[in-house]
Amino acid sequence: MRKGIVQLAAIGVVIGVALTLVAVLLQWLPESASEEFDRIQGVYWFATIISIGIFSLVTAVVIFSVWKWRVPDDDDEDGPPIHGHTGLEILWTAVPAILVTAIGIVSAIVLARNGEAGTRPLEVQVIGQQFAWKFVYPDFDDLETGELVLPVGQETRFTMTALDVIHSFWVPNFGQKMDAVPGIETTILVTPDRTGDFAVVCAELCGLGHATMRASARVVTQEEFDAWVEEEQA
Amino acid sequence: MTATHDHAHVEAYPEHFEPPPGTWRRLLFGPGLLRGAWMGALFFGLGTLLVLVLRWWWSWEPVWNTEVVLAVAAMTMAPIGFLAGIGSFDYWLHYIAGRPTRPEDHSGHGAQSWKDYFRVNTDHKVIGIQYIVTTFVFFAIGGLMAMFFRAELAQPGLQFVDSQTFNGLVSVHATLMIFLFIIPAFAGIANYAVPLMLGAPDMAFPRLNALSFWLLPIAGIMFVASFLAPGGAFGAGWTGYAPLAEGQPLGQTFFNMGVQWAGASSIMTALNFLVTIITMRAPGMTFWRMPLLVWANFTTSLLVVLATPFIAGSQFFVMFDRIMHTSFFTPEGGGYVLGYQHIFWFYSHPAVYIMMLPGFGIVSEVISTMSRKPIFGYRLMALSLIGILVLGFSVWAHHMFVAGMADWLRVPMMITTLLIAVPTGIKVFSWTATLWRGRIHLTTPMLFALGFVTMFVIGGLSGIYLGSVPIDIAASDTYFIVAHIHYVLFGGSVFTIFAGIYYWFPKMTGRMYDERLGKWHFWLTFVSFNVTFFPMHYVGLRGMPRRVFDYDEAFGDVNFVITVASFVLGASFVLFVYNMITSWVAGPVAGSNPWRAQTLEWQVSSPPPIFNFDEIPQVVAAPYEYGVAGARHAVMSPAREAQEATA
Repeated sequence: MRKGIVQLAAIGVVIGVALTLVAVLLQWLPESASEEFDRIQGVYWFATIISIGIFSLVTAVVIFSVWKWRVPDDDDEDGPPIHGHTGLEILWTAVPAILVTAIGIVSAIVLARNGEAGTRPLEVQVIGQQFAWKFVYPDFDDLETGELVLPVGQETRFTMTALDVIHSFWVPNFGQKMDAVPGIETTILVTPDRTGDFAVVCAELCGLGHATMRASARVVTQEEFDAWVEEEQA
Repeated sequence: MTATHDHAHVEAYPEHFEPPPGTWRRLLFGPGLLRGAWMGALFFGLGTLLVLVLRWWWSWEPVWNTEVVLAVAAMTMAPIGFLAGIGSFDYWLHYIAGRPTRPEDHSGHGAQSWKDYFRVNTDHKVIGIQYIVTTFVFFAIGGLMAMFFRAELAQPGLQFVDSQTFNGLVSVHATLMIFLFIIPAFAGIANYAVPLMLGAPDMAFPRLNALSFWLLPIAGIMFVASFLAPGGAFGAGWTGYAPLAEGQPLGQTFFNMGVQWAGASSIMTALNFLVTIITMRAPGMTFWRMPLLVWANFTTSLLVVLATPFIAGSQFFVMFDRIMHTSFFTPEGGGYVLGYQHIFWFYSHPAVYIMMLPGFGIVSEVISTMSRKPIFGYRLMALSLIGILVLGFSVWAHHMFVAGMADWLRVPMMITTLLIAVPTGIKVFSWTATLWRGRIHLTTPMLFALGFVTMFVIGGLSGIYLGSVPIDIAASDTYFIVAHIHYVLFGGSVFTIFAGIYYWFPKMTGRMYDERLGKWHFWLTFVSFNVTFFPMHYVGLRGMPRRVFDYDEAFGDVNFVITVASFVLGASFVLFVYNMITSWVAGPVAGSNPWRAQTLEWQVSSPPPIFNFDEIPQVVAAPYEYGVAGARHAVMSPAREAQEATA
């Protein structure tokens, strides 16, 4: 049986290594452009490590069992009458409970951090309407634009609503998403930490033009942002 | 009740009750599809008249409102007329009217020819097959729709359809798969297997059972017919979120009402299962001796009975908003938009377990039998179902982490969501432990069961990502969700349905399916399933939202691969259908117990006798006593054995 355990472990390791390579070598996540998404990616990797472990374990046992104990069709014997094992059952109740609790704690911490507005966030109002986004900057005389422009490093609070149906404000590179709901206001925080051009995507089915309801988001330096505001207000 | 009794009842059936066969009177006025057709039309007319008279009476302009007429006449009255026509209500109406009823009428039992499958039949075995065949028809329709919009998605931009048709295809695909395939296909398998497994002659309420089947095609036809409505099919997704659904064209009403019929069917069946399981177990069949499929359907039925009224309510409210100008969910009238989502998900999250627990039951049967070992940790397996049932009601708002609901609800809902991984994990580990040191027969049902175990783990793990609020905020409403739901519902539920169909095929038909074709079917499905759905995790995380006909150029190549694989997946289904049909017609005779299983359904002939058991069996032990010398689950002829023992 010792040999069997070694073989089983070998199968598990092979699967685990293969999956780890797939997870690491492919670029699964968009490049993060916000502090919030940096933290979310941390949770993502934490969950990925646990997931690879569990998947490798289960798959290894299935493959090993079939390989080891498969019998020809006309075999008519029965296996050993093992009805259970209390210790094992407690173990596989407790270990997953601990693992998911760990994921839960990490998630709750990140969620709380991502929800902490700094002392003076930049306020941006987002208004969703079939099928376009409108951005309003109340700090700058309610400046209205169709393009989202943000200064890098500045915590920004988006307060959103919708005029007709539910839309969902999402910049994949920011990792933050929130529905814009008619009748209520919702908020989300983003602190861009990288300059560049990104896409604003509507993530909630909102009708015929849902797929084309996009806008662009531009993260610029503070000076460029000030210049942009001045230019827009002029 | 014994066999001789049953026989006496059949003879007591009054022959004069029906008009003589073959006459036009019988055809037109006897219960059947023809009477169903004209009574459906008649009731449609009555409904239309009712609407017109009332609207004229109250001087509502315009008197003719297509949507109201359709909702009342076509989607409420006509189905009732049809059901009355095919004879679903005959017994009850005779009883109410004081006319002679047939208290022990078994004329609607059993199927002598293929025509009996198109009649109201009260035999659970006939109803089971009616369910399964019907649901696979809708599976094929829903699958074709998926292939159609996958063709559209092979490249960015619009190719074949317009935007409303695309949204309609996506919505109807999901609706058919959920309400007309997965939920009722499980009901069909359970309908066939559960009474047999309990040692019961039938379900507790056979007439109700027949009625609940006939509600299904009504719902299915409504969903599909919505494509004919002016403005196209409902296109707000199967979730039908308000207020988008309230501004949809007429097709949305088909969804609102179709869900009512499908939901009513579910509730009736679930009640029937509950009463059957609680009251009709054979002597000795304690709860701790019930096969896990029975346990699974017991918990599923509790979920259905408690949760389904919520989706019915949510759809009625949307329809009232649409045609009666109420404002449950319209902010202008003081309605609360998020209220829809709370009510909807209070059903639709438990519905995920309604679509999964029966599959757990099937897989437990298959893995235990095919590994020739008792199921590992039987009691914990049953208790974990109860755990999922209870937790399942406390997680609905995890669908709403980005919906703008109260912030404080997020963390509690995340914790309960993550905790569901514990009872689910217990099941997965117990299945693998059942394999351990078994004598494994790698038959087609076993392949599907093992395919299920591995694929379901992927679906469960991606569920943990989505349960974690921060990851969900990034991944919600993207193709990652599409991948997750298909790993759970296709790699999960559909694989178990295939496992169940192959497993009980010899019992239902008395014939064996073609094992070689079955294995081809499995491998083709397994590989193309993974190539279709695994890359969706990737495009989703990278930034492709779901329910879009157009997407960023960068996702073009991956989507092309997905589309090609989805066509292979569709083609693999043809193998299955071919195998089923040819084997049913001319497969080798299977014998009563080809798998050497111990549960009761395998101890009677294939297909079983009309009332299942010639003698009510006496259950003496647990259902999976493989490898225990001399053990058996039940004594099939307790009277004779007692006689032999005294002789």
